[in-house]
Amino acid sequence: MASIMFYLLSLILLTATLLCIFQRNPVHAVLYLVLGFFSLAIMFYLLGAPLVAAWEVIVYAGAIMVLFLFIIMMLGLAPQDRPEGPGWQRWLPFVILMAAVLACTLVIIALDPAATAQGEPYSLGPQDFGEALFGKYALAVQVVSFQLLFAAVGAYNLGRIQRGKGKP
Amino acid sequence: MDNNLVQIALQNVNMWAIMPSLILICFGMGLLLINVFLPRGTTKHAVWISLIGLVVTGLFVFKGWGDPQYGFNDAVALDNFAAFFNITFLVAAGLTILMSDEYLRREGYPVSEYYPLVLFTTAGAMWMASGTDMMTIFLGLEVMSVGLYVLAGFFRNQVRSNEAGLKYFLLGAFSTGFLLYGIALIYGVTGSTRLTEIGIYLNAHTSLLGNPMTLAGLVLIAIGFLFKIAVVPFHMWTPDVYEGAPTPITAFMSAGPKAAAFASFLRIMEYCFFSLKPEWTAMLWVLAVLTMVVGNVIAITQTNIKRMLAYSSIAHAGYALVGMVAANEIGYSGILFYMLAYAFMNIGAFAVLVLAGKKGEDNLTLEGFSGFGYKRPFLGVAMTIFLFSLMGLPPTAGFAGKFYIFAGAVKAGYLWLAVIGVLNSAVSLYYYLRVMVYMYFRDPLEDYAWVSMPVSVVVSIVIAIAGSLYLGIVPGFVMELAKLAVF
Repeated sequence: MASIMFYLLSLILLTATLLCIFQRNPVHAVLYLVLGFFSLAIMFYLLGAPLVAAWEVIVYAGAIMVLFLFIIMMLGLAPQDRPEGPGWQRWLPFVILMAAVLACTLVIIALDPAATAQGEPYSLGPQDFGEALFGKYALAVQVVSFQLLFAAVGAYNLGRIQRGKGKP
Repeated sequence: MDNNLVQIALQNVNMWAIMPSLILICFGMGLLLINVFLPRGTTKHAVWISLIGLVVTGLFVFKGWGDPQYGFNDAVALDNFAAFFNITFLVAAGLTILMSDEYLRREGYPVSEYYPLVLFTTAGAMWMASGTDMMTIFLGLEVMSVGLYVLAGFFRNQVRSNEAGLKYFLLGAFSTGFLLYGIALIYGVTGSTRLTEIGIYLNAHTSLLGNPMTLAGLVLIAIGFLFKIAVVPFHMWTPDVYEGAPTPITAFMSAGPKAAAFASFLRIMEYCFFSLKPEWTAMLWVLAVLTMVVGNVIAITQTNIKRMLAYSSIAHAGYALVGMVAANEIGYSGILFYMLAYAFMNIGAFAVLVLAGKKGEDNLTLEGFSGFGYKRPFLGVAMTIFLFSLMGLPPTAGFAGKFYIFAGAVKAGYLWLAVIGVLNSAVSLYYYLRVMVYMYFRDPLEDYAWVSMPVSVVVSIVIAIAGSLYLGIVPGFVMELAKLAVF
């Protein structure tokens, strides 16, 4: 059952990512990306990493995609003119794929309500994660935090408006 | 439940293992803070502070020679190998900073944030050289690359610089994807990101060596580094980026980050994939020959000196790869030696290019160098020494470096590879000598308003000359150090 679901979700993930690339409207592209993240989250769950699955939804589909939408709206990238044809044709693929992802979720809940049986040998909890992060990969955490500073300095330099010269 | 709570404490940290990069970062961040309180356009203090930072770091690295430090549960190691490469990065960064102030001022960008970015990039290169964990190496690479993306596009109002920054960013991000995918596959095979653990695991499970996933991981990791080293066929970005970036940054990119990529590449191949040595040396054999031939042949047709040096840097990456194909002590230590020598000679050549500029514009065409040797005798002699060194003629550093690398190849039984390398050096004579022909045997086209010679750039040229000649005349001492540094 799990392997059938895995291949189904992989198919959905690939389709959603391809559709995301080929969308003209950036907002639609973001929606397909969210769809991809959802199917990826369930795949992580199937692999026995419920924690990563939750993060996939909270961090990627939640926080980062909101940031994407925010920037798209701030820069006014969304096209103003409405394309020809009835609206449902554009929404049909999204609705079908989303329904499939939700169906997979429901099947998992129905088969395993307490979320116990999945991936017993590889179960990974928050504690394991924390120990790995601040034990084995302590240096990586610090380098990443340094890197954020460097990137901020660089972005400031490239994006700064020069005094007296107007916009670059 | 309370009993299950564990105290997560940082264990086996040993900050000494990352001390060189920490010192550089402290100086960089201090400089950023100082810049806030000073008016825009003051940069002299930034030059001095970053130079002091580099010297302090250098003293620390020298002091730690022969006393390896391991930290963060073996995620990072400051051994002799890392120390030797750290010196190379410091030399590259120091020479770059010395020539930058004049150039930035002339181009109308006296921005003091430039210097902290160079220091941070150097720190990233140090993490790459001393990382003994895939994560450390990858993050070091990212720190270094992000700094370089910004520095390559630093002249925001110049289209060429913008193009260089954007091109480097897009292709660099793409190649980083390859590297990360390779790391993920190797992690999937071995269940570890520690280099030594991967090596031991692969050696113990010989059935995994032929596994497509292992081989794919090896190839993808190699592609990630070969892109940074600018090896054919992953070299397409090099000419445009090197031509468009500010000249001091081009000099830095061709020496520091290239050496850093070589450092991690060497360490990963030697620590993780020693069981697959016949496979990857065969792969690198082909790439080394391709790189030398393509780099040298295309360099012949260039009329822009900066672009010619870009193609020549591709060719030099090919020479250094020969040392990796040899995969013995002389070959590896030859790479270390060659990277240091290349930092001196190539950055020196770029420093001369900075001073060869006319007022307000660059002077990079061959025509523009007509009669240069008589107009500016000192710069002419300096350029001659650097070009001799790049050609690989005695008594310069380039000769000694190529000698060691090709000696390693011959010793490992790759006689033909060494022959191809020497033949390529002969081809390179043509385009290096052509610059000298223009400098000494052509009459100047017109009387330019040459830029003045500020002390800082002259100092960097003098240091570069001293380095090129010292490594060429008495290479023994540094070569002994390089031999102590390899695994």
